[in-house]
Parts: sequence; C-alpha cells; structure tokens
Amino acid sequence: MLMRKPFILAILMAALTLGACSPKDTGTLQLHSDADLAGLRVATGAGTCYDIELSKRNDITLILYNEDADILQSLLIGKSDVIVHDETIFNAHICRETGIKIAMKGTEEFPTALMFRKSDKDLAEACNATQRRMVEDGTMARLKKYWLEDEYMETEHFTHIPEETAGEPLRVACVTAMAPISFVVENEWYGIEIDLVRELAKDLHRPLEFKLYDVSSAMMAMKTGKADVMTGCIFITPERQEQFLFADPYHGYTSAYYVIDKDASRNKAGLWQGLKNSINKNLVREKRWTYITSGLWVTIKITLLAILLGSAIGAGLCAMTRSHRKWMRSFAGAYNWLMAGIPMLVLLLILFYVVFAGTGLNATAVAIIAFALNFASGACGVYNSALSAIPVGQTEAGLALGFTKLQTFFHIVFPQALRHGLPLFQGQCISLLKGTSIVGYIAIQDLTRAGDIIRSRTFDALLPLLVVTVIYFILAWLLGLLLKCAFPKKHVL
Amino acid sequence: MIIVSHLSKSFVNPDGNVLHVLKDVNCEINSGDVISIIGPSGTGKSTFLRALNLLDPPTGGSILLDGEDILVKGYPVHKLRQKMGMVFQNFNLFDHMTVLENVMYAPCKILHMPKELAREESLALLRKVGMSDKADVRPSSLSGGQKQRVAIARCLAMKPEAILFDEPTSALDPTMVGEVLSVIRSLAKEGMTMLIVTHEMKFARDVSTRIFFMNEGIIYEEGSPQQIFEAPRRSATKAFVQQIHKEVFELNSPDFDFPGMYTRMTRFCIKYNIPEKRETTETITQLMVDEIMADYRPLTVRITHSDLSEITALDFMVENLETSPLQAEGVNPASLEKIRSLCKEVIEEPTTRGFRVKLIL
Repeated sequence: MLMRKPFILAILMAALTLGACSPKDTGTLQLHSDADLAGLRVATGAGTCYDIELSKRNDITLILYNEDADILQSLLIGKSDVIVHDETIFNAHICRETGIKIAMKGTEEFPTALMFRKSDKDLAEACNATQRRMVEDGTMARLKKYWLEDEYMETEHFTHIPEETAGEPLRVACVTAMAPISFVVENEWYGIEIDLVRELAKDLHRPLEFKLYDVSSAMMAMKTGKADVMTGCIFITPERQEQFLFADPYHGYTSAYYVIDKDASRNKAGLWQGLKNSINKNLVREKRWTYITSGLWVTIKITLLAILLGSAIGAGLCAMTRSHRKWMRSFAGAYNWLMAGIPMLVLLLILFYVVFAGTGLNATAVAIIAFALNFASGACGVYNSALSAIPVGQTEAGLALGFTKLQTFFHIVFPQALRHGLPLFQGQCISLLKGTSIVGYIAIQDLTRAGDIIRSRTFDALLPLLVVTVIYFILAWLLGLLLKCAFPKKHVL
Repeated sequence: MIIVSHLSKSFVNPDGNVLHVLKDVNCEINSGDVISIIGPSGTGKSTFLRALNLLDPPTGGSILLDGEDILVKGYPVHKLRQKMGMVFQNFNLFDHMTVLENVMYAPCKILHMPKELAREESLALLRKVGMSDKADVRPSSLSGGQKQRVAIARCLAMKPEAILFDEPTSALDPTMVGEVLSVIRSLAKEGMTMLIVTHEMKFARDVSTRIFFMNEGIIYEEGSPQQIFEAPRRSATKAFVQQIHKEVFELNSPDFDFPGMYTRMTRFCIKYNIPEKRETTETITQLMVDEIMADYRPLTVRITHSDLSEITALDFMVENLETSPLQAEGVNPASLEKIRSLCKEVIEEPTTRGFRVKLIL
C-alpha cells in the first residue's frame, strides 16, 4: 500500500511531462501593424495599459494574467498566439532561451514612474528631487544604459548604498519579479527600479524593505499603509492617478508583440536530459531551492500553528454549541454561519488589510490567525459530529459509576469520540494545509509563492509546479502520519 | 438508609408544556431491602430511580442518605454514586474496552486500586455472573443477556452499598431474561440492597421484600409482595397486578396469514415467560382452526396470559352461534380427544354475541 501511492504519483507526473512537450508546427507568426492582430489570441497583464488599449478591440481574444511569467507561459504552451508586454521585459537572453521573438514594436511610449500614497507628498517630492539630481549629474543616463541597453550583470547593483542607515525602513511593494525592472536573486532585489529606489533611500538615509505582491494586493497594501512605494513598471494612468501619487516619470517604455520563433534552433534534449537541465535551472542555479525550503518552512509553520490554535478555538466553540445557555449557542451558531459564508481568501484579506491593519502584527501571524479562525469552525463541526456519535448512555454509565463530569468526558466519551472524529479531523487538517497556498496574496513567501518566484525567473512552469505539488503531497501524508502517531490506538488500561 | 420525602420532578417539553413526572414521592429504604418498583408505563418509575442518584436531579423535596441531605448545593454527587450503583436498561457498556476493562476501569481510576488486584477482583466478579470466559472480548460481540451480566459485574466492582436496576430485562430478547434475573436473585440472597424497576411480576413477587406500586407520579401503594399481589387495597393496584396479557386474531378473510399467527403466538409465549406452552398452543390452535372449527367463519382466536395466576387460555369465538361447535355432528372424535388431553379445562359457553370455546392450558 505504501509503495503504491508514490508509484501512481510518478505515472501522473510522467504523463504531465509528456503532455507539456507536445509541439505544433506552422511558420513564425508575422505582424506588421495592429490590424494583423485580428482574430488572434492575445495575452497581456491584467490592468496594464495594454489591457486598457486591447480591450477596446473586439476582433481579438484577450487573455489576461496577473503574473508576467504566466503571460509568457501562455505563449509557450500555445494558449495564446501573441503576447503584448514591455519591450524590456523579455530581453534577448530570455528570448533565446525560450524561443520567442519580438514580432513588432508598439509606437506609443508609456510614461512610467514610482507610485506613492496620496498622503505621502513629501516622499514623492523627495523622489522627484532624487530623480532631478540623477538627471543633472548623469546618473540617470548611466542607470538606463546599464539596465536597458547593456547586457547587465544579473547580480550586481548599479547603485551602492552605504552600510549605515537609520530610521523607519522604506517599504517597497514590488509587483514585478522580472528583469530588468525588478527581480530577486538569492533573496536580494535587483533591477532598474530597484536602483531608483536605492538612490532615493540613499538620499533619505533610510533602510529598505522589499516585498513581492501581485498588483491588486499591492494597491491594497499601499492604501492601508503596509507599503510606502510601489514599483514594477507602473504606467501612469488617469485611474491610478485618482487614487495614488506618481513621482515624475523616469522613462517611457514602448510595448512589444512577442510571438513564438519557429526558426529558433531549440535544443531538443531527451526527457532525462531535459529534466536534468530543468532541475539545474529551476532549483540549483542561484540556489533557487532555498526559496522552496524557506517557503516550505513557512507553510509548515502556518499550517501547524493554525491547526493548534484552531483546534483549541474549535473546542471552545463546540462547548458553546452544547451549552445550555442560549446566547452561547447563538454565538457559536453565528460564528459557524459566518465562517461558512466567507471565502478563505476574503477572510485573509479582511484580517490583513482591515482588522489588523493598524497593529504591528506581521503577515504570517495574521495568516495563522485567519486560518485558525476558519479551521475552528470546521474543527467544531468535527468535534460535534464525533461527540454526537457517542450515545448519551455512555456518559450516564460513567456518571453512575462515580466518575465526575470531567472524568467521564475524558475517560469515557473522549476516547470513543476520537475514533469517530480522527479521520474527519485529518481531512480538515489536510484541506487547511492546501488552503495555505493563498497566503501569497498578503505577500507571504510560502511554498506556492516560492514556486511562483522561481517560475518568474526561469519561465518554466512545469518543474516548479511539479516540485511544489510533490511537496504538498508529502506534507499531507506526513500530516496524516503525525496525527496517527499523536493518537495511537491503544488499550485503555 | 435513604429517606425520600415530597420528591418531585418536572420536565419542560420542547413545546413549552411542563410535565410533572414525579409529584410527591415519599418512602424509606432500609439497608438490605429488595424493592421492586412496578406500575404502568410513564408513571415515573425510571425517573424516580434516576432522581435517587441524581442523574435526573429532582426539582423539589429532599433525599436524606444516612441523615445527610444529598440535594444541597455542592454535595459530592460522584461520591454518592460510588456508593449507589446503577444498572441500565440498555447496558451502556463501554464499547471501546474489553469486558474485563469495563469491570476494572472504575476501581482503577476512581478508587486507585492497584491494577493486579483490580484484575483479580474483576475476574472473580465476572466468574460470579458467569462471564469470565469472555473477559477479553469486546462488548459488541456479546448477546444482550451477557452484556447485562457484565454491566452488573461492572457495577459490583465499585462495591456499592445499594444498586438501582432500571428495567434490567426490558431490552432483552425473552430467551435471555432468565439469565439476568437469576444473577439479580443471587444478589438478593446475599443481602444486597436493591431497587428494581421491572415488568416481571413473577420475579418481583418472588425476589422482593417490598413492592412499590407507582402510579400518576406517586407511590400509590406500598407493601409486601403478598399484600400487593394478593390483597391490593386500592383499585388501580388491583387492576394492574391482575392484568391479563392478550393477543387477538380475527380469521375473517381467505387471505388470513396463518403462519404469521403461529409466529405471533410463539412470540407471545416467549415474551410472557411461558415457552413451555408454545408447542401446545400451536397444536391446539391448528386442530381447532383447521379441523373442528374449519366451517366457522369469521372466527376470533384469542390467547391470554395472566402473570400473577399464571393461567394461559385460548379462546375461540364465533358470532351468532348458539350451540357448541365441539358438540356438532361430524367432529373428528380423535381430534377432540387430543384437545381435551392437552388442556387443563375446556369451557363451552354462550356469550351475548355468540358462542365461545375456552381452553385453559
């Protein structure tokens, strides 16, 4: 039995691997003007300028993604025919490696700037001052040349900040993990906008703190004061200007239309060699496996603590649902009703951005609380159904023998309820474990997010997802094992 | 030992009605008493028993145990229950333990008896109730009678001063009633103080020192078994103790379920503890219905049994008939002879509506 599960898993993965490598052959798509897009499937980033422009057309199929890596992936796996994105975002190196090319460049320049909170006028002003200084002393020109024209070194900053800094850190919300704008290598952020922020921090003598968000949660983080400046190739749009304050634009990016380059010589590595290359690229290079291990630890931490806390709250709730006081039963009923109705992600966002927004509580703690609150409701249900399975006669027999109420519960009822409830409880724990994969929304780098970060660097969807999947499988299995060990079947005396 | 005065207990139904189950119960229970509590269903017999060990705390009145009021707040109820064991209708054995563990669990956990000693004593108790060979099995594999015997052993393991039996044989298959009653009988012989709620009249009469007849939430009449069963003072008591169990079959259609009737008669005999009369009943009924009274339809057949007098009778009734079918022409004399030999008495009598043949078994 133990041997069979991994075997089935292996077959599934092999099937996935083969499925992902199926090629389709026609010539490279030619584009000469916007009109040529007619009838094609076009992918781009949700909420970007391109989104706004392209959604005006009704002769194309527009596919929107939140993450840049997903946009590229959609082209590579044939879900889209062409992708529209910044000209800089997929540089020559990436194009070579993935076998795509720029078919056409856009004509319009989109002014791009760092974004601040409306109330943070001083900070925006400081940023403008820094940019003016950079333009005057030529730093800006050299910065752009370094990141946008030269073949940059991926792990070298353009701007060097002196070691000593003081005061509140400048919290940077990065919505792009993509060279050359902003990207992570071995937990250090690099890129043109990163250096821009570093210049600002240098002038302000403040330390820096970076966090990766997706666009919508970054906006939320900005509004609720969890981040001070937002970077990641943010185009200035009237809508955004209504809500946020932009610094002066530092550059105008044009768009590019990327298509699959059918003429590119792709190295047709065998399955085994391909897997080896993929492992090397996704896990070994730049010590990318460390994302996985640190993410794994975060996932384990959130899951276990939420289970412990949630079980305890659930026990309290269960006691309330069985209380003879009406208000207690009503409270527990209302709580369960509420938890049943709120999607986990919404609960997490509400707790993070609203309830605990003003407190200094860190994101991981908020996630633990959110999952514990949700888990408590499920655990309460499990306890209740387990306890209901024990006939009241068992309690009466215990009491009649001379056990106290508490003794009767722990000696007689609980051991029997445990047998009924444990399988259900295990199911709850495992769904909690899997549910934690959404914590990336509040910028926690858990296991799933670790996979996302690797994907955004390597543009390889398969292996990171596969590795993450396998690890979740193993975690779920271990969790079951842990519960079995914690509550072994044994003789009572 | 126990003095109960003006005890009352009321429940509030889910629909808001207040139900007064116990109204005013007064009694005195002395050490060594074996008291059977009898009475119609729903008159508070079980509630009274459960009020005594506070499983259903009474709403009024007082219970004095050795002069101490057990209804005062903060009274150590679990200590009281250690001295006053209880045996339930549904056994309530702990399903997650073996038979032996069921018996030795409470002494180990409550009295902190050393495990080895508890095991020895428990095995001795199991031997006493004839269950020592099942010590290591789970209760789920036992029959009802066996479960109840284990439950009695479990109760004895706490060395109680008194035992409350709450309809100990009501949930049992009739064939298993005897084994449980015999265990209780032997306890009575040893002088154990016991209160037994039961419907087994014969048992109650044989084993008890006193009988409580409960009716309408009070102890309606109390006395020795002779007094209650043979010379009840009050009419309700009389009606109850002389009550006759009966089952009626109307043979009025060609679709009548004959095998079903014989099954029900067999069940009747087992239920009222007269399994020895099973075969006779069936033989006589068959002879009467198929041969002697085959032409008389519709025919009403009735089987009756009185616990107290232990008289079982089979009645065959036909409407609008004036002469006895047994005297009619063409009756097979051999069959008639056989019936007469199987019965204690044959009564042929006209009734207001027809004619009845009554056979006393």
